[in-house]
Amino acid sequence: MVPVLEVDDLHMHFFTRDGVVKAVDGVSFTLEARKTLGVVGESGSGKSVTALSVMRLIPEPPGKVVSGDIRFKGESILAMNERDQRKLRGNRIAMIFQDPMTSLNPVYRIGKQIAEPLRLHKGLSKKEAWVAAAELLDRVGIPEAEKRAKDYPHEFSGGMRQRAMIAMALACGPDVLIADEPTTALDVTIQAQILELMQEIQARTESAIIMITHDLGVVADMADHVLVMYAGKAVEFGTADEVFYNPLHPYTWGLLESLPRHDVDEKGQLCPISGQPPSLINLPEGCAFQPRCQYAREACQRRLPGLVEIERGHLSACLFSGDKQFLAESPRCAYGRAQE
Amino acid sequence: MTALLQVENLVKHFHVGEGVILSHLSKIVQAVEDISFHVDEGETLGLVGESGCGKSTTGRCINRLLEATSGKIHFEDIDVRKLHGKKLKAYRRDVQFIFQDPYASLNPRMTFGEIMTEPLVIHAIGTRRERETRCKEMLQTVGLNPEHIHRYPHEFSGGQRQRVGIARALMLRPKMIVCDEPVSALDVSIQAQIINLLEDLQRDFGLTYLFIAHDLAVIRHICDRVAVMYLGKIVEIGGWKEVYNAPNHPYTQSLLSAAPVPDPDKQRARDRIVLQGDVPSPIDPPSGCRFHTRCPIAQFPICKDAEPELRQISLGHRAACHFAKNFPIPERTALTHQLREGDLP
Repeated sequence: MVPVLEVDDLHMHFFTRDGVVKAVDGVSFTLEARKTLGVVGESGSGKSVTALSVMRLIPEPPGKVVSGDIRFKGESILAMNERDQRKLRGNRIAMIFQDPMTSLNPVYRIGKQIAEPLRLHKGLSKKEAWVAAAELLDRVGIPEAEKRAKDYPHEFSGGMRQRAMIAMALACGPDVLIADEPTTALDVTIQAQILELMQEIQARTESAIIMITHDLGVVADMADHVLVMYAGKAVEFGTADEVFYNPLHPYTWGLLESLPRHDVDEKGQLCPISGQPPSLINLPEGCAFQPRCQYAREACQRRLPGLVEIERGHLSACLFSGDKQFLAESPRCAYGRAQE
Repeated sequence: MTALLQVENLVKHFHVGEGVILSHLSKIVQAVEDISFHVDEGETLGLVGESGCGKSTTGRCINRLLEATSGKIHFEDIDVRKLHGKKLKAYRRDVQFIFQDPYASLNPRMTFGEIMTEPLVIHAIGTRRERETRCKEMLQTVGLNPEHIHRYPHEFSGGQRQRVGIARALMLRPKMIVCDEPVSALDVSIQAQIINLLEDLQRDFGLTYLFIAHDLAVIRHICDRVAVMYLGKIVEIGGWKEVYNAPNHPYTQSLLSAAPVPDPDKQRARDRIVLQGDVPSPIDPPSGCRFHTRCPIAQFPICKDAEPELRQISLGHRAACHFAKNFPIPERTALTHQLREGDLP
């Protein structure tokens, strides 16, 4: 079966006055229908740029895909002309942005904004599109949808705006839904509503979801596969269970260890990753994580580790991920499946 | 033990739409409505709740960055609300503040040295050289290089800036620090660094924290006692173990069940209580129990008509719910059982 979306060793660089910013520097993943991929990493790790590259929403210049490919159902998006790309965007591949306050246009009614992709891609008339928009609003759980479609974004609360964003993204029944930090700006109880809604929609529509977030809890909730990013590179990729219970990369260990855990009854000391993320203009020699890695060895400063398949379907970009003895040193106390 | 800080019946109302032209539209936002709590010396009390629940307003009233509408705030033996002039200045030496956003809370035109010595200048402490020495020591204490004294905020990352924000609060050797979401703007790995730093400083300097945050896991990690707020009211307060392992208020239960845990197995097995709708407006809050419009176990008419008081559940653990003692919620027995075992956040 051809995966819906394949990203193959993508390198997206920005050419700025200060130098070349390697925002995405070697990211690969595949996404199948009905599956959810969670992309985690800290700010500046290239999660959002990866998503925007798939949508072809990065202005060129300053951005440029230096190498790599993005394929939608086997067809290269990068090789398409602008017109064909536009037919995909918002239609087959749709995106939900982080900030529902700024990503809706304040001077148009909500209904009109949701109707726009339907008019553009499906060729519906104004009236038909408006009716469909109201139906969509109803489907994402907005009460009195027909009336609320006439509202402007400022009349909606944060959670409702995010629902409207989801309705807009769903309008054309996309094959891939990219959600860039969809719940970061929302409160916990509203976040739970939105996550529930997305799972419900996925069960109904068979679309694949890329869930970009820095919250490992959200990933544990939603994702089938997890991609961990650091400094523009994919450092670990595997099923959610493998990444959470059997992580191979020291950065993933660090992330899991620096979270305040609430499933242990005693409070232990947190083990943060020391230092700061590197500047993307001036990446360290060898492994980008090496200056902050407490397990780094001499070889890490010289050789750049590639993303290698260690176990079936579980990839890691660490020189020592295949080394049984090295893995034995990992801080196993911090994670691992609860003993039944 | 006597409390370091005692807050009684604190009320803070904001008037909106005041003025000559629109005065007929004037409304009152009930940001904080009659809350009482105390903070003991050397402990950390967490205030947790969703946006708009009044947790930051409470912190600001305690620091006199905002003037409370009514109620009592006692710090040691001082009536904080009556302070003015020199005495207020002296009080602020004892109670410092750490702000949420390390980008907005440091003046971009001042060097780290100027930012950190400013409190000493204002309070006329030490000579110029002494201040500089103290500043360098403090930079080291919070894990920065003392040579950074002449550098500007824009040269540093969020985590490093937050360290300077913390150092500034410590310069006057306060007894208590109000931390308003000090780690929510930071990345996970940096967040853990700052949490550890705050814990180390508390031990070394004998500090008392009022810790305001919306992240339940962070609160649980750092706090001794926790107060959960909803729409300007404290709905549950108690030791962290009681509040997290045996929550008695349905809002606390919903919050805990809504916060995702970084563990796929547990996440799949969970029975999430998803609250319907949004938090109502504090301009016109619901009658009776403010949570009744979203509460999964509300019973009418009692929840709509009568405002529940904070009732004692066990020693030091109180909840404001008419049915606080009637838990577990029948159809949620499984969840409550899990919570009792400390399985969830």
